[in-house]
Amino acid sequence: MTDRRAFMKSGAMALFAAGLGGVPSFIARAAGSSKILAPYKKTKTLVCIFQRGAMDGLMAVSPFSDPNLKLLRPTLYMSPAQTEGAMIDLDGKFGLHPSLGAFDPFFKEGRMAIVHGVGSPNNTRSHFDAQDYMESGTPFSKSTPSGWLNRAVGLTGHDASPFQAVSITSAMPRSLYGDQESLAINNLQEFAIQLRGNPFASGLASRSFEQLYDQTSSQILNKTGRESFDAMKMLNLNHIKNYQPAAGVAYPNTALGNSLKQIAILIKMNIGLEVAFAESGGWDTHFNQGTANGALARNLKDFSDSIAAFWKDMGAWQDDVTVMTMTEFGRTAHQNGTGGTDHGRASCLFVLGNDVKGGKVYSNIKTLAKEDLEDGRDLPVSTDFRSVFSAVANRHLGISNNRKLFPSWEGQSAEIMKTV
Amino acid sequence: MHVFRRIKIFAGLSVAAAFFAFAGTGTDTSQEPKISLPYKKMGLSREQAAAHLLSRFSFGATPGQIKQVADMGLEKWLDQQLNTTQPDTAVSRRLQGYDALAMRNEDIVNTYLNAGQVIRIAAKNNLLNRDSVKNLDKPEYRQQLKMIMDQQGYKLPQELQRQLINQKVIRAAYGENQLQEVLTDFWFNHFNVSLTKGQCQQFVMTYERDAIRPNLLGNFEKLLEATAKHPAMLEYLDNATSVSNENELSRKQEKSAFVNALRKRMQDMAEDSTRAGSQVMQQFVKNRKTQGLNENYAREIMELHTLGVDGGYTQTDVTELARALTGWGVAPMYKDGPGTRLMENTPPAALARRGLIREGDFLFRGDKHNENPKTILGRQFPANGGYEEGMKVLDLLANHPSTAKFIGAKLAARFVSDTPSAALVNRMADAYLTSKGNIKTVLITMVNSPEFWEKKSLREKVKSPFELAISAIRATNADIVQPFEIYNWCTKMGQRFYFYQAPTGFPDRASYWINTGSLLNRMNFGLAFATQKIPGVRINLAALNDNHEPESAEAALTTYSRLLLPERDQEDNIRRLTAMVRDVNLEQKINAAADKTPVPGVAAGTMQTDMQNEPAAPVPGRRNARAMQRAALGKKNLPVTTLYVAGNVNTVSQVTGIIIGSPEFQRK
Repeated sequence: MTDRRAFMKSGAMALFAAGLGGVPSFIARAAGSSKILAPYKKTKTLVCIFQRGAMDGLMAVSPFSDPNLKLLRPTLYMSPAQTEGAMIDLDGKFGLHPSLGAFDPFFKEGRMAIVHGVGSPNNTRSHFDAQDYMESGTPFSKSTPSGWLNRAVGLTGHDASPFQAVSITSAMPRSLYGDQESLAINNLQEFAIQLRGNPFASGLASRSFEQLYDQTSSQILNKTGRESFDAMKMLNLNHIKNYQPAAGVAYPNTALGNSLKQIAILIKMNIGLEVAFAESGGWDTHFNQGTANGALARNLKDFSDSIAAFWKDMGAWQDDVTVMTMTEFGRTAHQNGTGGTDHGRASCLFVLGNDVKGGKVYSNIKTLAKEDLEDGRDLPVSTDFRSVFSAVANRHLGISNNRKLFPSWEGQSAEIMKTV
Repeated sequence: MHVFRRIKIFAGLSVAAAFFAFAGTGTDTSQEPKISLPYKKMGLSREQAAAHLLSRFSFGATPGQIKQVADMGLEKWLDQQLNTTQPDTAVSRRLQGYDALAMRNEDIVNTYLNAGQVIRIAAKNNLLNRDSVKNLDKPEYRQQLKMIMDQQGYKLPQELQRQLINQKVIRAAYGENQLQEVLTDFWFNHFNVSLTKGQCQQFVMTYERDAIRPNLLGNFEKLLEATAKHPAMLEYLDNATSVSNENELSRKQEKSAFVNALRKRMQDMAEDSTRAGSQVMQQFVKNRKTQGLNENYAREIMELHTLGVDGGYTQTDVTELARALTGWGVAPMYKDGPGTRLMENTPPAALARRGLIREGDFLFRGDKHNENPKTILGRQFPANGGYEEGMKVLDLLANHPSTAKFIGAKLAARFVSDTPSAALVNRMADAYLTSKGNIKTVLITMVNSPEFWEKKSLREKVKSPFELAISAIRATNADIVQPFEIYNWCTKMGQRFYFYQAPTGFPDRASYWINTGSLLNRMNFGLAFATQKIPGVRINLAALNDNHEPESAEAALTTYSRLLLPERDQEDNIRRLTAMVRDVNLEQKINAAADKTPVPGVAAGTMQTDMQNEPAAPVPGRRNARAMQRAALGKKNLPVTTLYVAGNVNTVSQVTGIIIGSPEFQRK
């Protein structure tokens, strides 16, 4: 593991942390504008969004031109030809759900790639198992103690900030389990010593704790204690509270919108964030998922609007940020008896960033004819999720060791990123 | 020896009862070594030794307990703990109203249903208009759903989970048999299962109750068997779905008209989505097609439960073990489920002919068992080994030298140090092997060793978040009315217990627990806890000091440091903090600051309430509390230590919060 102290001392930040006892406000001010100030070595940030519950990839990005789809999904079928709630035609073959309209410009500008038919070689249809395998990155081994993003952090191989890997969740996600220090936090404002409603007492307690941790004989408590107080000073809570996104950007007031907003704040503070994790729920659409309107449409809209707001808010940071979405599996090709879809195999994912070879739906999907489906019912996995994850991590985070990133995987990375 | 397990009948409860009665009395105590604690030789006073012993064999000393244990004799206390002889009246009282804790799996799966299951049952019984299912997020629909649940006595799985979570907090904080609670935590984590997995979550409560707790001081082999056969583990690591399709019995059945008719019926039911359990049926039918060998459990039992990753097994051993455990599954228990009906309507003799062996909720399906000969860890297992074959492999694994070492090392890491010495681990491993895996013997060997009492072992371990929270409760004699709030704090501090997703369990070492985010939350926990801003926490800090008021902030600091961290050298800490609190106007400043800030509701933002239908803890808002006190005392500026009221910040609660959040209190 890299030594945090060394990093703190090496960065210009050390000046503030050691001497002034806090992040100077101009840095935080900069976070609210589009001006870049970099007290840290500039880092690239990979933002991963896990869609828990298994998104229906066949409705999000629909192979509408395949005549089988209409037969499989008589009331769920959508196409660009319909008059109301039409799909957005991406390439004559795939249509983007109208609620994902916010992605359309990114796709057209070539910043967004869509990978279809993606999933895990392990054919489990259990949410738990599939998420576990996708997050550990080892589809046939449950006992892998670390998550793939934690390994990615370790493989960056340089000095780390306490904010190198942050998950905006209340508990640590499986993706970040492991030896590399990561932070799981629901709300950045909680990153402080606080005694609710009593700033004086909070301040006194904070100074007392700092004294005590500074002198403890326990090495780990001493070291981590110092780091904690340094890190705390790096975050200016007032500015987090009063954060103003870039002009014209409005984050949806939803869990995902708020998570992405907090990630944006961290990125703009230039405090060394390299891997960020957020999640989105409600994708397990067994009942009445709807078409242009309904449960899935609402979720897709929140999903794409949140990501679009985040991207626009990134402004001058866009070159350093890549967003990748993932979901544990897809849903049945046919609709079920209650207007929904059941657990299936492959789904699709989205990668957004200026180093993405976008404007294309990457797909090895054959047809939806019964003989091309897995077990006669599910879109088969034609792209291993690891080939996409590794491609993004290779290009964006500069990680080259895929054998360590995904142990026991010997496949090739997908060519969805621009060459350096 | 395993005669009682051979009862090939379907008799559910009585078999289960007999099994657990048996499991509880398996050990021969005459073989255990005598307890003889070498603390004097290692330079520790009796009090220091008592403090150390309590810090490792309990969730923390209660006020006065160190002296009590020192007076009665450490050996005697330890003997009581090893034999779990103490009556647990406080726990029983606090667990009144926790109705789920005594339930059987069968009742649980038919009572705690998620919304989807309720809809299906309701639709089937025409309790719910199927069209209204189309408006899933409408309030009327939710209301209707709630009404149906109330009428039918269904409850949400979250309620079961809350009872499970709360009972862990209550037992750890108030249990008299502390070692039992410490080992429940340890063994559960060793044989981890998780509430994150849907198919397994409903069985987690009975797993801890029936597989872990009765076996935690007995023989490791019994513990291993109990976990192996429990539905929670069978589902969590997928062994319930691991079958062989090349079975003679199974081939014969494939041809029988009875089985074909049954299959047709199941297929029909699976396709009728209005039927209760149709999802289960779909899974069932799908499984019939795609099922085969699943190696998950076989791998983890060797890597994580017994031999350890370097324990000397190969991939071939994993596959062979998986084959030996094919057919090990869960007895059907859904009301009206096809499996349940089949079991009920088929005479025991016919079930036996099909090779079914039922033990409580464990079901061995001979027709799904791989009959071939196998070689595991160099030992030959002849063909047609059936159910006994799996039992023999568990025996082999439990008594393997690698297991002795792995378990010895893991216990030493929990009780002695993150990096225990090889000498200690070897001694424990030897004790394990000679006692055939007697856990008590291994623990006694550990505490009889000088390594346990070495100066460098003292305070070497960092408490897990759960240990921190419970030790704070115990050190302050706190009354916890809403245990779920303690769980929420543990989550914040990095230990969402019962929800750890990976079968490894939480890593048991300081570097896992301590990182920047979790450390700040430990400090915040100390402050929130001591100032009683955690809903449902009641502490009488004055009573801890026999209702004597410290005369100054400095005195409070010295007094409460010694009360909360007895037998520790704190002069340095106290000196440093004294400089901070030496401010004659400290209390007034704290009060003044509080008066200026808007008062958030003390219980605001707390969605979770206690299970016990007790009235919510009367936690007054700060303003109210202060007003009440002022009224009572008839003066405006209060002396330092009179403000012992919930939700209030005063010097004593502030100091106590700092002590609980201090590095010294994180250590054990």
